Amino acid sequence: MSVQTQEQILSDLAAILRDFHGREYSGVIGPKTLFFGELGMVSIDAVLLAEALEHHYQRSFPFSRFLAEISRDGTRDMQVGELAAFLERELNGGEGEV
Amino acid sequence: MPFVDLEGVRFHYQQKGRGEDVVLIHAVTSNMAIWLFTNVLDTVAEEFRVTAYDMRGHGASDVPATGYTSADMAQDLGKLHAALGLRPALLVGHSFGAVVAVHAAVLFPEIVRGLVLYDPFFPGLAHLEPNLAEASVWKDVRDALVENGVNLPKEVNFTALFRMVAELSPDQRDRIRTNLDPTSWRWLSQLTQLAATTCGDDVFRAAGLTEERICQVRQPVIALYDEQTSFEATRRFLQEKLPNCRGDTIPGAKHVAPLQNRTDFVHLVQKHLRALAASHDS
Repeated sequence: MSVQTQEQILSDLAAILRDFHGREYSGVIGPKTLFFGELGMVSIDAVLLAEALEHHYQRSFPFSRFLAEISRDGTRDMQVGELAAFLERELNGGEGEV
Repeated sequence: MPFVDLEGVRFHYQQKGRGEDVVLIHAVTSNMAIWLFTNVLDTVAEEFRVTAYDMRGHGASDVPATGYTSADMAQDLGKLHAALGLRPALLVGHSFGAVVAVHAAVLFPEIVRGLVLYDPFFPGLAHLEPNLAEASVWKDVRDALVENGVNLPKEVNFTALFRMVAELSPDQRDRIRTNLDPTSWRWLSQLTQLAATTCGDDVFRAAGLTEERICQVRQPVIALYDEQTSFEATRRFLQEKLPNCRGDTIPGAKHVAPLQNRTDFVHLVQKHLRALAASHDS
């Protein structure tokens, strides 16, 4: 299986998030973009995004563990780059950083 | 996206793991994300086949105008159970999700093997909890909104809450968004979709789940309540009146243990599911 770079994954994420379940976003989506604060997502959107990514990459990911970690203090937002790093690690067999 | 159509209403669900069936039922005004953001789904899926779903009107499921009593939602659960071909299941319900679980156990005992009830208030036991307006589940939300210039009645009124959220002006939204913590704001902003439904009134109807019927539950029950629960009388009732009920306590929590004490919440849910499963085997 080919190695996925974080840049490729960010590009995939931006394409998915650009028009996500009828919620269009016209700004630049980059690694620092905030999933909740800037893209206006709510909790169920994170679940739907996880499902969309599993469909896109045709495999499952331990999203529950990732989401639990980023929401541990109950207030933190999620940067798109953090999600990309998580996906990179999973897609490339444990490499990369979250 | 995994959806299942149940007689014209489309339900969003996820399923993971292998083994005995467990169904996770979120609280009213919540959605299945609570089980992912707290890692309950993956943790329980290490030992069970777990199904989590969005109740009608919630998350990504359809939002019909009516049908939000615990009886209606127990019917949904029964249909979901059949449509997905589940075996008799262990049900984990949070708050009103636990009421739905008990109602399902009464209506369809053949599909329910055991229940973990987390911090529920039962409309059919409302006489045991006369000070509901002072319960944190309502008072904390109301106080936060009143502080931000939103008028809500002192008495519990979810219909008013849903309509208020739907009718917020842009200025009010900005002010509340600035002053509330992000998690509370995200929760509040999702209530808009319930404004045009009967949910706010329906969830406070006993809908046939009376004191007498609750006592008919024969399956093993875990009454998991928060250390600072607002529903102590309900907890005592369940432990004293149900023939097969044990209690347990989540330290330091106040109705939203998945956010307030996630570690103990996940640990206790997993521990009690294991015990319930083992009790079937023995």
